[in-house]
Amino acid sequence: MTIFRWAWRALIRAPLRGSLLVGVLAVSIGLALIMITVDGAFAQRLDDIRASVGTDITVRPAGSFGGGVFGFGGPRGGNGPGGALATPTPAPSDADDDSQPTITDDDLQKLTSIPNVASITRVVTDVYQGDTITAGTVTPPGNGGQGGPTFRGPNGQGFSPPIIVTGTDDPNTLSSLATGDTEITSGRSFTTDDAGKNVAVIGQAIADANSLAGGDTFTLNNVSSDGTETGTTTTLTVIGIYSTGTTFGDNGIALPIETERTIFAHTDTVDQAIVKVNNVDNVDQVSNDVKNALGTDKADVTTAESAFTAISSPLSDAKSSSQVGLIAALVASAIIILFSIGIVARQRVREIGILKAIGASNWNVVSQLGIETAFIAIGAALVGAIATFPLAQLVADGLVSDPTTGTGGPATNVGGPGGGGGGFFVAGAGGAANGTNSLLGSVDVAVSPSVFAYALAIALGLALIATVIPAWYVGRVRPAEVLRYE
Amino acid sequence: MNDPEYTAVLANVVKHFKSGPVLVRAVDGVSLQLPRGKMVALRGPSGCGKSTLLNLFGALDRPDSGDIVVDGIDVGRLKGGDEVDYRRRKVGFVFQMFNLMPSLTALENVMLPMELAGGMGPAARKQKAESLLERVKLAPDRYTRRPTRLSGGEQQRVAIARALANDPALILADEPTANLDSTTGGQVISLLRRLADDKRTVVVATHDNSIAQKADVVISMSDGKLMGKWAEEDSEAESARVSS
Repeated sequence: MTIFRWAWRALIRAPLRGSLLVGVLAVSIGLALIMITVDGAFAQRLDDIRASVGTDITVRPAGSFGGGVFGFGGPRGGNGPGGALATPTPAPSDADDDSQPTITDDDLQKLTSIPNVASITRVVTDVYQGDTITAGTVTPPGNGGQGGPTFRGPNGQGFSPPIIVTGTDDPNTLSSLATGDTEITSGRSFTTDDAGKNVAVIGQAIADANSLAGGDTFTLNNVSSDGTETGTTTTLTVIGIYSTGTTFGDNGIALPIETERTIFAHTDTVDQAIVKVNNVDNVDQVSNDVKNALGTDKADVTTAESAFTAISSPLSDAKSSSQVGLIAALVASAIIILFSIGIVARQRVREIGILKAIGASNWNVVSQLGIETAFIAIGAALVGAIATFPLAQLVADGLVSDPTTGTGGPATNVGGPGGGGGGFFVAGAGGAANGTNSLLGSVDVAVSPSVFAYALAIALGLALIATVIPAWYVGRVRPAEVLRYE
Repeated sequence: MNDPEYTAVLANVVKHFKSGPVLVRAVDGVSLQLPRGKMVALRGPSGCGKSTLLNLFGALDRPDSGDIVVDGIDVGRLKGGDEVDYRRRKVGFVFQMFNLMPSLTALENVMLPMELAGGMGPAARKQKAESLLERVKLAPDRYTRRPTRLSGGEQQRVAIARALANDPALILADEPTANLDSTTGGQVISLLRRLADDKRTVVVATHDNSIAQKADVVISMSDGKLMGKWAEEDSEAESARVSS
């Protein structure tokens, strides 16, 4: 008869006690496993966000910081760093305003010589005021960003937001437009061959509102430098239609930057530039170099890291919560099993005395108790591990939906003029992140079979801890004392 | 003090302990010699120190002072592994309440001391355990029963077989018939008597005169002291030199 069988027999001798102990411990271990799993999922999501934010540095004219393209802050002055921070800031009415610093192509040319700069993407954005196309109607769900009052139609119904026209010189991929989760639903995106051509990728809402499809044409009224229409038009061919999943976000038009500048009579200024760094480790250095090259009075420089911090803070908070939960669950498990086994040892003091009287060493007795404890802990860990599969996602959703996020939200959150709203399209830090909710709202918790390895490790660790008290106690038991009053 | 004529020699052994505010002089300056291969009855009223003296013989407790030598081993000064080894190999205990392990079968209870002592394979342990159970006349169909499914007499037989598991020099029985009816108690005493007849030293603590009558040597105790005389119930008994 091995000591395992001996321990097992002792355990099943009191099935109710054993079952209760396994049940209580399973709750704690299960919670710990869930927290481990959720924590891992959060870490993975943070990595994903970091990867999606990438190594970009956003450069804007000083004082114009913010301005998600589809945020109501508008192309020339919107909210803080996009969806992440919905702090209203004064917005210059026009980037070409002499009173405001501007960033020109020549300025950006200086940046090309900075070490570790991989590429520079210029971006200009304008609100289209003409009547040649119409915007899709947005029905706001309620108060959106914190920057100002919510837009609503006269009857409290929907409203038509401004149509935002974006020009960029790196239209090869949607990611270069910082459109995150934007998907081309029809046609294609730009290629380098499209530079300077009268082609456009339009949002689904624009396409629907104007019955446009790939290959169709539409016209935009040309605008003079003072903002008035010149009376001429530019005809653009639709090469692709994108969807962001939100009507608000789909009320936009993307053009090659030269085409956009022609229509809106811009010379060589940009609303922002995306400086891509070759390595995430070099971002801070390049950021400093950009600031030095342009001067802080001329440009506001935001790194992807700062955007990442702002965007990911709710997720980081949730991750911290999961870690606290993990520690609490482990401590609770340890306390439960420590005291339970301690009590069991006390209840079985007579049995311990008998064992020692017939020749059992302290080690024999402690081993038996330790193996009994291990059986209990492993049983509880198995139950806990199995429970992790259906429950981990629920817990993750609960932690992420914590309302203490403080985010302005994506484009669907409509802030007031000059504030609120989230950048969606090319809005630099905020826009690049495409709003926080879209990033945080889907933390997929994939419970891997390795959870059983964690469970086993926890179980054995707890069993080890739980033998401390019995070991100490057994060592003190003198058989004569516990058998004296039989 | 290693006299081959005696299994155990006690010299001025003292064991006191506190029970609340009261100091109990359980063993108070006892000196005696136990002749080898005899059945010795420790007789006296409850609380006179019989069980404490057995515990001291068995290294279940340590004397406050004095010497206890069993088979040449200074029991009172044993510690750690030596103490455990002594309990395993030199003494076998038979308790009033049987004290079998409730989760083990009769056979496993007998095998347990052998497993603790080591040195025997499972098959050999089982064979020896069956032999011992047969020796104490336990019906084979009881071998695989747990203690709760055995009668008191059967449990005590198993306990005696367990005490014999490692062939100890000294069998210590503490009121082994106290929880048995007279018939069954008589059978248990007969078993112990046979062990002594097989040249094994058996010490039985009892307040039952009928048991004392079957002992080779009877030692009376009172208030932790040996009485100033020893009783010889058997005409062929060896003398147990007693002093207090």
